[in-house]
Amino acid sequence: MIRNLNFWFFSSFIISLVVIIPIVTVFSSFFENTSNYFEILKNTFLFEYTFNSFVLLISVLMLTFIIGTSSAYLVSFYKFPLSNFFKWALILSFAVPPYIYAYSLTAFFENYGTAYTILKNLFGEGNYNQHIPKFDGMFGSILSISFSLFGYVYILTRASFLYQSQNFIDLGKNLGFSNFRSFYSIVLPGARPAIVAGLSLVAMETLAEFGAVDFFSINTLTTGIYNSWIAFDDLAFANQLSFFLLLFIFALFVLENLSRKKAKYHFNSRGGFKQKEKIRLTKSKSFLAFGFCFFIFFMSFLFPLCQMFYWTIKFPENLFDLNIFDLFLNTVYLVVLSSFALIVFSLISNYGNRVSNNKVLNLMSTLSISGYAIPGVILAIAFITFVVWIDESMIKNMGLLSIKKIFIGSIFGLVIVYFVRFYSLAFNGIKSGYEKINIYVDESAYLLGYSKRKTFMNIHVPFLRNSLLFVGILVSLEIIRELPIALILRPFNFETFATTAYISASEDLLEAAAVPSLFLILIATIFIMITSKYILRDTNE
Amino acid sequence: MSKNFFEINNVTFSIGGKNKVNDVNISIANEGDVICILGPSGIGKTTMLRTIAGLEKINKGEIILKDKVISSSKIHIEPEKRNIALSFQENSLFPHYTVDKNIHLGIKKNSPSNKNINAKEIIKILNIESILNKYPHQISAGEAQRASLARSLIAQPDLLLLDEPLSNVDQSFKEDIQVSLKQLLNKNKISTIVVTHDSYEAFYLGSKCALVLNNEVKQFDDPYNVYHFPNSVEVVNFLNRGILIPAKVTGGDSLENDDLGLIKGNFIKHYPTGSKVQLLLQPEDLEHDDDSNLKLEVVDRKFRGTNFIYTLKTPSNRLIPVAVHTHHWEQHEVNDKFGIKRPIQLEHIVCF
Repeated sequence: MIRNLNFWFFSSFIISLVVIIPIVTVFSSFFENTSNYFEILKNTFLFEYTFNSFVLLISVLMLTFIIGTSSAYLVSFYKFPLSNFFKWALILSFAVPPYIYAYSLTAFFENYGTAYTILKNLFGEGNYNQHIPKFDGMFGSILSISFSLFGYVYILTRASFLYQSQNFIDLGKNLGFSNFRSFYSIVLPGARPAIVAGLSLVAMETLAEFGAVDFFSINTLTTGIYNSWIAFDDLAFANQLSFFLLLFIFALFVLENLSRKKAKYHFNSRGGFKQKEKIRLTKSKSFLAFGFCFFIFFMSFLFPLCQMFYWTIKFPENLFDLNIFDLFLNTVYLVVLSSFALIVFSLISNYGNRVSNNKVLNLMSTLSISGYAIPGVILAIAFITFVVWIDESMIKNMGLLSIKKIFIGSIFGLVIVYFVRFYSLAFNGIKSGYEKINIYVDESAYLLGYSKRKTFMNIHVPFLRNSLLFVGILVSLEIIRELPIALILRPFNFETFATTAYISASEDLLEAAAVPSLFLILIATIFIMITSKYILRDTNE
Repeated sequence: MSKNFFEINNVTFSIGGKNKVNDVNISIANEGDVICILGPSGIGKTTMLRTIAGLEKINKGEIILKDKVISSSKIHIEPEKRNIALSFQENSLFPHYTVDKNIHLGIKKNSPSNKNINAKEIIKILNIESILNKYPHQISAGEAQRASLARSLIAQPDLLLLDEPLSNVDQSFKEDIQVSLKQLLNKNKISTIVVTHDSYEAFYLGSKCALVLNNEVKQFDDPYNVYHFPNSVEVVNFLNRGILIPAKVTGGDSLENDDLGLIKGNFIKHYPTGSKVQLLLQPEDLEHDDDSNLKLEVVDRKFRGTNFIYTLKTPSNRLIPVAVHTHHWEQHEVNDKFGIKRPIQLEHIVCF
């Protein structure tokens, strides 16, 4: 590989640097003095925060693993009624963020909620409230987060299953393995990197989750971070808590790496790749497979959608109280700006890394993608701290106008923080696309007289088109669903569907939260439906 | 001004900071000549090609193409500006283009080359007409290799580098392609460096062969000389086409071995009488004679199409290969006695 300090190197360097700055601000705050809030907390709630975060994390990981891998396995390997429909329908769970799921759970199961109304309409008046289970607190949080996030595990595992050669499954049959044994001893280990990647995303999202746990009043490290900033204005301690949170995630990665030892999971199938043939299930088994997938689809998507739809119809006045068109424009505006910036700059940065193969740049990229592990709350606060520091220590001293208004409470600032927060998602998504392009392809292009720019534009960009669309939808969905950053950094009077839903719910006006939640789900659903064919094409099916 | 079309002068080839082949001096005398680099796997042959193509840099020596230094410790012409084509051993086709599009990407609009290469002819010769509309993932490794070769040829390079170009091609088809490829290169005067570990391929395609062994070019010579006059024991061992037996020089044109007796011939290199040497015996050196009184035991027989290679055991337990035409009227079985014609007269005597 040619090691050159060229345009691509410097572009990549600057992009990584921009992303690193707020992250470094978080870490540097770790060494600052904190207020006495820390002492108070240490003696009171710190154990509870940690314990709750741990329970939440482990439970969500287990549930998303089970739901994600089993549904991916069923739709990848078997034919049963509507299996092709479920293949993409299960992705729709992405359209429902955990906090909206939490609103739906509460709305359905609460006293005199939707479940009560259904029972009353079916069987007349009765004391149903005491028999209707209550899905709130920790259990409600686990369900909300799991049904909302299992899609990460599902998508990545399914893609990995599709790439597995039929040869390995035939080998299993040849060795006399049952279907189940083939699954856990051949198929599942082969998909391990994908499953771990999916679970890592789930872990980071869970630990950074704010809306659902806040709604269910579960004290976790994230709500602790938010409270220490809101109630005590103690950024340093908030950062220390988030540092602690990062250690959690880091420990998980180390554990996985240690358990993996030197095993390799990627097979270079040069020729000999045989497309899998799906097995048609017998009647009873196909009913079970259909039942399982329908249950997951219903719980993750239909249930919250129907609940929000029901309330929107039941309380139509909320629909007219809101300026839906403005909310729609605001949401789309943010999504388009942020995802465009993320895709363009992540693509350039990836290519810069590829052609430069420079250790400093590699290190910077590794640092820059850690932004995803830092909760949105923290990033937003760190960004404000950094801008204020620059403004007061440098800009004012130079006699220039304050830059605060440009960055704080502005769309520009919001896009920058979204960029930092979701950079790793875009960077890694594009990187995995790049890994499919053999380095010989680049070298062949050079030898055919292509410059680096021409290789990038004519060879890489067309090849990565599907990956870019895939990354685009993931990033857009994240931004549509994102709550704390928008809450903290949005311009005055600038509301999105997410912030409107949160504000109504936090004022105990769940019915009013239904309208923006419904629109949020619908927009996200349309997004997924439009691009789902690209997601499927991306996985070579 | 360099008198050769292409030269590598005192270059040490390295990759990832590790020296692979040291102090290399090889050249292509005239435009259109083909040379081969022969050596075992992992020795650094591919690194040499990558460096010549400009994909790796050098810290020592210089590489000159058409009187212009393209690589040295100070100069590094970027690969895209060298007009050198490299056909990789691995599949390097652009995955999102059809084979046809891949091949035609090789055509340079403003090529400085004056060669008149016909794309259709190349496609026909390499027998890839039926896969033109397919994508790289839909074709076999051998087909991908031929498509990649076609793309490199169509690029009309000043210098073509082929890395194990036919390693994935079926044996039945390989020789035909070798013949066509050689004709094509000669006809269009495409100077080429072929890397291979197949000595027969190297001997056929190359007007000269460089043998890379133990981190250096051991011998750079024409194929006949490399085969018949290897300059070191390492080359003999690598080519594996003969054995070394102990002998004593008895005169200006003779030496003696305990098992075979007197051996006569022309020494390639002078040795004083009485010197103890290792004599190279290749399968075609000894002649079979059923009536000879020098009989050795057959311990193995390999059928090689045009001839049998008999492995004979001497009284001192040395194994000697002897080639016999397959149409020889009497075939010998293992454990048979096999006569060697006497007196033994060698075309040339190679000793170490």
